Amino acid sequence: MIQLESVEKVYRTSKIETVALTNVNLSVRGGEFISIMGPSGSGKSTLLNVIGLLDVPSGGKVSINGQPVTSYSDRHLAQVRNEAIGFIFQTFHLINDLSVVDNVEIPLLYRRKLSGSERRKLALRALDRVGLHARVHHFPSQLSGGQQQRVAIARAIAGNPRILLADEPTGNLDSQMGDEIMEVLKRLNEDEGTTIVMVTHDPRLSGQTERIVRLFDGRQVN
Amino acid sequence: MIKHLCKLVWNRKRINFLITIEIFFSFLVLFSVIVFAVYYLNNYLYPLGFNYENIWSIQVDTRSGSDEKDKLQRLAKTNQIISALREFGEVESAAAVWAAPFSRGDWTSGRKLKDGRDFDYSNNEASDELKEVLGLNVVRGRWFSKEDDGVTNYKPVVINQMMARAFFGDEDPIGKDISDPDDKERKEARVVGVIDDFRKNGEFSEIRGYVFNRADFTNQQSFLPRFFLIKVRPETTAVFEEKLLARLQAEARDWSFTIKTLVDMRANVFQEYLVPMTAFALVAGFLLIMVGLGLTGVLWLTVTQRTKEIGLRRAKGATKRRIYHQILGEMFIITSLGLLAGVLVVVQFPLLNFLGFADSKVYTLSIIISLVLIYLLTALCGLYPSRLATKVQPAEALHYE
Repeated sequence: MIQLESVEKVYRTSKIETVALTNVNLSVRGGEFISIMGPSGSGKSTLLNVIGLLDVPSGGKVSINGQPVTSYSDRHLAQVRNEAIGFIFQTFHLINDLSVVDNVEIPLLYRRKLSGSERRKLALRALDRVGLHARVHHFPSQLSGGQQQRVAIARAIAGNPRILLADEPTGNLDSQMGDEIMEVLKRLNEDEGTTIVMVTHDPRLSGQTERIVRLFDGRQVN
Repeated sequence: MIKHLCKLVWNRKRINFLITIEIFFSFLVLFSVIVFAVYYLNNYLYPLGFNYENIWSIQVDTRSGSDEKDKLQRLAKTNQIISALREFGEVESAAAVWAAPFSRGDWTSGRKLKDGRDFDYSNNEASDELKEVLGLNVVRGRWFSKEDDGVTNYKPVVINQMMARAFFGDEDPIGKDISDPDDKERKEARVVGVIDDFRKNGEFSEIRGYVFNRADFTNQQSFLPRFFLIKVRPETTAVFEEKLLARLQAEARDWSFTIKTLVDMRANVFQEYLVPMTAFALVAGFLLIMVGLGLTGVLWLTVTQRTKEIGLRRAKGATKRRIYHQILGEMFIITSLGLLAGVLVVVQFPLLNFLGFADSKVYTLSIIISLVLIYLLTALCGLYPSRLATKVQPAEALHYE
């Protein structure tokens, strides 16, 4: 499902060159739930951004569903991000001026051939899947952190992507809320076969995933 | 997507309110300038109704004020002066008139029409030669002539086409009376001819009803002409002015004369219309530049403040193009709200008789032009910030603080 071959990422400015990833080889099967661990600055988020096509690697090859995407145009990359990948972020990134359901509809806005009513139906279904059907017209500021992260998950899964990328999804939550979010992710993986790649610092959470990829100074260490 | 943008704009109404107000006031100011510009341009495109090339105006001051003493003598002297003017080889024709084209001063009257509308029109009094001097085009009936000598039971008048249409519609106005039925001392004012629309105050002035009365230099009731108009031969130079003035002073020693060409008088009238208009347009232009800079700044700030949102949208599948269109689209909606409020206000103006000089055609055209200009301005102001938004890298934006 996700294939990374000799991936490198170097950030260059006129004065310095920062190596973020070196020779990363990673293969994630469909339906797998893996976690990426490592100390701060080890390249976890960079790796997730490269997998999620948010960042372009400086070298190597990235394939999604068997298709090499490294040379894709902006339009094509956007389409893959929209249809194949769902993102969950540590800080939720909800738009405070939009209601819960309108936030969840965002990725569907960029999908062609979806009518307004179809978008609404998919968004409501996604909210139902994360147990937030009673909060659809609330605004993010009216929700708890855990509820906000569930909205973000609903937004990530509304378009039924086969891959979910979660960047420290419980990092801003207390342990109880974190456990709730972990349960939602596990359910999506087990019940619906969604492939999940999760960046985390928490060994308690990574222990619940099938595999752990460890990074140190931009290199895989396992 | 449009619905989504509308929601976003509405939910950010507090932030967008000031921009909407700014656009609303800009529209009002711009509309006020445009309505004048369109009105003047519309007037300019209509025929003037007379020639002004090679015509000199001689303003005369008989220094008698409204003194009726010796009026018949002065009227006779006027007639002598016209004869004297005709004797010059340089002069093709000469006439006397109460108000020369492009001169100050208007003699206006008003009447209620059959349909109840108030109708204002201008009056003038001219000698028989005015038609020839100004090249007036008679479209029906005739101009004044010897035929009118000795007529006492009615007053011959020549009206312009607009007046004929307003008073008589499609009927033939010749032989009809235009005197005011409410005037107890009225004397029949019989239409003997109709000329093209005549605009004494120049191309920018409104098209209004016009009545010429016949100057009768044997009638004590006649006005003393304030101007002589002479049509000179094209090759006539300014040297003739001296000769002319000497002759005029010889004919009437106690009168004073001021000679100007109609071309110069027209240029002065143009200045009177264009100077305030240009000043107003400049103020409006500066205001629009300020608004434009303000809008660009606000949009720029918006893009910076919304870097995370833009990054999120990119992560969720928005192309650079979609982001570009979103920023412009939001600006378009905010602009439309301001303009909607502006249009709702300006459509009330005719009901309040404010800017009442503009007819519905001028009004509608001015609204359309103002709308287009404001949309162009906001689009122009949105271009750079929108382009800036497309440069946002999603990976960086999502970690932007």
